[in-house]
Amino acid sequence: MILIGEKINGTRKQVGEAIEKRDADFIRDLALRQFQGGASYLDLNAGSLPEREPEDMAWLVEIVQEAVPDATLCLDSPNHKALRAGIQKAAKTPMLNSLSGEQFRVDGVLPLACEFGTELIILPISDSGIPGDAAGRLAVVRRLVEMTRKGGLPDEKLFVDPLVMAISTGVENGNITFETCRKISEEFPRVHITCGLSNISFGMPLRSILNQAFLVLGIQAGMDSAILDPERRELRGMMMAAETLLGKDRHCMNFNRAFRAGKIGPAKGA
Amino acid sequence: MQELVNAIVEMMENDALALTKKYLEAGTPPMQIVDAYKEALKIIGQRFEQGTYFVPELILAGEMMNAASDLIKPYISAEEGKGGGSAKVGRFLLGTVEGDIHDIGKGMAGMLMDINGFEVKDLGVDVPAKRFIEEARQFQPDIIGLSGLLTLSYDSMKQVVEALKEAGMRDKVKVIIGGGQMDEHACQYVGADAWVTDAVAGIKYALGWMGK
Repeated sequence: MILIGEKINGTRKQVGEAIEKRDADFIRDLALRQFQGGASYLDLNAGSLPEREPEDMAWLVEIVQEAVPDATLCLDSPNHKALRAGIQKAAKTPMLNSLSGEQFRVDGVLPLACEFGTELIILPISDSGIPGDAAGRLAVVRRLVEMTRKGGLPDEKLFVDPLVMAISTGVENGNITFETCRKISEEFPRVHITCGLSNISFGMPLRSILNQAFLVLGIQAGMDSAILDPERRELRGMMMAAETLLGKDRHCMNFNRAFRAGKIGPAKGA
Repeated sequence: MQELVNAIVEMMENDALALTKKYLEAGTPPMQIVDAYKEALKIIGQRFEQGTYFVPELILAGEMMNAASDLIKPYISAEEGKGGGSAKVGRFLLGTVEGDIHDIGKGMAGMLMDINGFEVKDLGVDVPAKRFIEEARQFQPDIIGLSGLLTLSYDSMKQVVEALKEAGMRDKVKVIIGGGQMDEHACQYVGADAWVTDAVAGIKYALGWMGK
């Protein structure tokens, strides 16, 4: 699984304050902990007002790549100016989060991704919103993949997020996401499928259990990436167990190594 | 050579094979390399007993060993002539007893015995007592390993031991029973010489009996 660490997000209060105060230690620590937790990609969302965002994004890029030079940065913004500011500071080509079927993103994000040959997260949202079924989401994805192919981006650089709505507001919401995953992997076998995990459990008790089950079912439906908090221990255990059980772990070595390294299973001394 | 031992022990199969090739091409005596593998397997066995390594590590170790012996073989025949190389430690006849078809533990026991220098003959699963006797006459094993996961296997195992007695062969072989349900009580009931619940433990008995 390709894990994208979600924690450096300026819309979270503490992180927003750290960005505003230029508290580099706080950001570095978040970056390092997520990377050590297995996130090879780190999402950077400055979360600030558009006029400040390019500057904040550039600062985040500088701090984080200095702290974890081996991580790939995932620049998270709807604002193409902020994305460009981040790309220009980045030592190695970052991932962009994200392109959707909304016209302003097609106009702003797509040309950047093609110009710099970045990896790119794709969301099946159009100007009329999020399609309520898998066929509708697939149609948006199909249109966007056509554009990225024309722009010279190979499918391997695409991470399609099937999107997930809260199960509390519609009991079919899980199935819609899983079906979208299956359709995408069938039609575009070389694209990656990633997903944020926490939406599914919004408005529910025991959210972490729902998130874990969602991840397991998602992996079976074709997800090979997730946007998550890599420090969640139970989630990591479930994720690795699912991959092992689905034959994605040669000789079960990833699972057993993670066990030996104390990364999964009951926490030591707990 | 320590580098090779570490690569095997840490399950770095590509590194282990690359190092094996490198040493062979540099003219290292093949038996030194074999010894490195044995040393590594000993450590892997210890980790298995300590509960930090599990069945996949044993299987992967076996695969590394097999791949390595394919690399090493041509060098051994060149150096010591065909059929040369180290003498076998002993002969080990092995099978899952009648009425039982479990074969993971048995397969592992066979593999580990092979790696530890035994000539192994594996009769497969659901093997009747009569067949054990026939094969034992031919193969002349030093040790017979009876495998079974079910408590029902006790009776089939006992039949093999009885049949060995009738054939006058009981004194010439050691009998070891293996399986998750084995214990001292079962061992006495069956009339075996030793019982084990995992394949690694069986190696210790076998090597001990052969004076190794």
